[in-house]
Amino acid sequence: MIDWLLQPFAYDYMVNAVLICALVGGTCAFLSSYLILKGWSLMGDALAHAVVPGVALAYLLALPYAVGAFFAGLLAAGSMTLVKHKTKLREDAIIGLIFTSFFAIGLLIVSINPTSVNIQEISLGNILAISDIDIVQVVIISLICLLLLGLKWKDLVAVFFDESHARSIGLSVIWLKVYFFTLLSAACVAALQTVGACLVIAMVVTPGATAYLFTDQFHRLVMISVSLGVLTSALGAYSSYFLDVNPGGLIVTLQTLIFLAAFVFAPKYGLVKTRVANG
Amino acid sequence: MDSVIAFVVEPLSHGFMQRALLMSILIAVVCSIFSCFLVLKGWSLMGDAVSHAVLPGVAISFVLGIPLLIGAFVAGLFCAVFTGFIKANSRVKEDAVMGIVFSGMFAFGLVLLTKIETDVHLLHVLFGNVLGISLRDLIETACIAGLCSLLMLLKRKDFLLVCFDPGHATVVGLPLRWLNLSLLAMLALTIVASLKAAGIILVIAMLIAPGAIGFLHTRAFDKMLMVAIAASVFSCVLGTLLSYHIDAATAPLIVVIQAGLFVLSLLFGSGRSAARRLFNVRYHAQRIIFHAR
Repeated sequence: MIDWLLQPFAYDYMVNAVLICALVGGTCAFLSSYLILKGWSLMGDALAHAVVPGVALAYLLALPYAVGAFFAGLLAAGSMTLVKHKTKLREDAIIGLIFTSFFAIGLLIVSINPTSVNIQEISLGNILAISDIDIVQVVIISLICLLLLGLKWKDLVAVFFDESHARSIGLSVIWLKVYFFTLLSAACVAALQTVGACLVIAMVVTPGATAYLFTDQFHRLVMISVSLGVLTSALGAYSSYFLDVNPGGLIVTLQTLIFLAAFVFAPKYGLVKTRVANG
Repeated sequence: MDSVIAFVVEPLSHGFMQRALLMSILIAVVCSIFSCFLVLKGWSLMGDAVSHAVLPGVAISFVLGIPLLIGAFVAGLFCAVFTGFIKANSRVKEDAVMGIVFSGMFAFGLVLLTKIETDVHLLHVLFGNVLGISLRDLIETACIAGLCSLLMLLKRKDFLLVCFDPGHATVVGLPLRWLNLSLLAMLALTIVASLKAAGIILVIAMLIAPGAIGFLHTRAFDKMLMVAIAASVFSCVLGTLLSYHIDAATAPLIVVIQAGLFVLSLLFGSGRSAARRLFNVRYHAQRIIFHAR
């Protein structure tokens, strides 16, 4: 039995996958605790799709994929700001328009140069066959992200909870927001490799939302969220060996199931509790 | 001139290209009508959510042996309704709930599709396969797209009121809940009908870009509808034909052309657009006079 359970760890690629998923899952979950406080959840989805043309071009030109992703993300964010400034279109329409257009450009690049990169890997993740150079990039991105988040986490809390308070104690709200979104896009780029563009949104939303149903205190929220992110990601990657399914899909399915369980049974804010309290 | 005719005629000598062109025009019309409402109502990302959520429906309908369209439709509608339910019963914000539900359903569908042996090719569901459309697909899509377009156009005044001023709509006695639900149901139907050609991800663009382009040109809703439909049909025809000549994926090319039209509208659209301001001599003259004072 034990032998059977330890079987995946006999393979280097499985050990790598579990460790990387745990690291990326933890980083994304940390960011998700902030994201849940504001109505910006779908930015994660938009960023993950918008970096695809950059990734496609980077593979085509044999550059590190993170460089391409970084520039594409920057360009997308810039275009969104510009369109918002120039038109009276609603914000959600602008976000949707830009990220789908960027994604389409990415698909077009790949369809014209089919050899550069497999589009299925970008959309659905490729953690079991990740190359060494990509491992290095993912690990560096995640660690830097965690470090920078750790440096400024208290300032960010102030900004996310109460902007006017943050301003009054002398924090630069705009710079801290830019700081946060830069970290978020970096985390999305890392998550692209583990779960793929379509499922990044779950990694940066679901753990935070689940934790939000359990506690009112921010430091607890972060702890619950990060542990959920690390555990579900590692477990999802691990059990994909036995179930023989897409690891990204499994990780996100796990996260969603835990969210649903919390939605129904959470001690303070669960459905059962609130229904009983309301009679 | 001959080269222009050849550009159009040569691809159309193939049956699959004729079907692809017809299919993309059908989708262009119905999606662009919807996009006008979605852009105004602030539901642009609802299309995102519903389209991702159809994936488990595709897998389950294959297991149960029912038509793919029905499974996908039920899954898409379930996502929208379930999002509303969780939002009403928890403290989590709507956008987060939407993200959780649709990504969860997409992930579940992904797990199912990698586990079950289906004749549905995952990549075709994700990115569409407009060149592999059968006559039956075409007829199905024509029925759904025709029905949805007709309903939307006939009832556009009611839906418009629901989008702009729900309070007023209730006062004049419109059944708000039913109209919202039927809008959602038709959205899901449209997405399902477009699935085979455009795929889950690019149908989102078809459901936003035309409306956004129309919005940049006019404030009158009927004109906005016409601009949207024209822009969308133009992109689909050009994209389908061009993809044949340059050997590129069709659906992404259509979306990129739409994005190009949006950028052009942004530069040269009506109102005080950037380019007009740049080229408007009178405007500059006035500014100079103003500063001279």
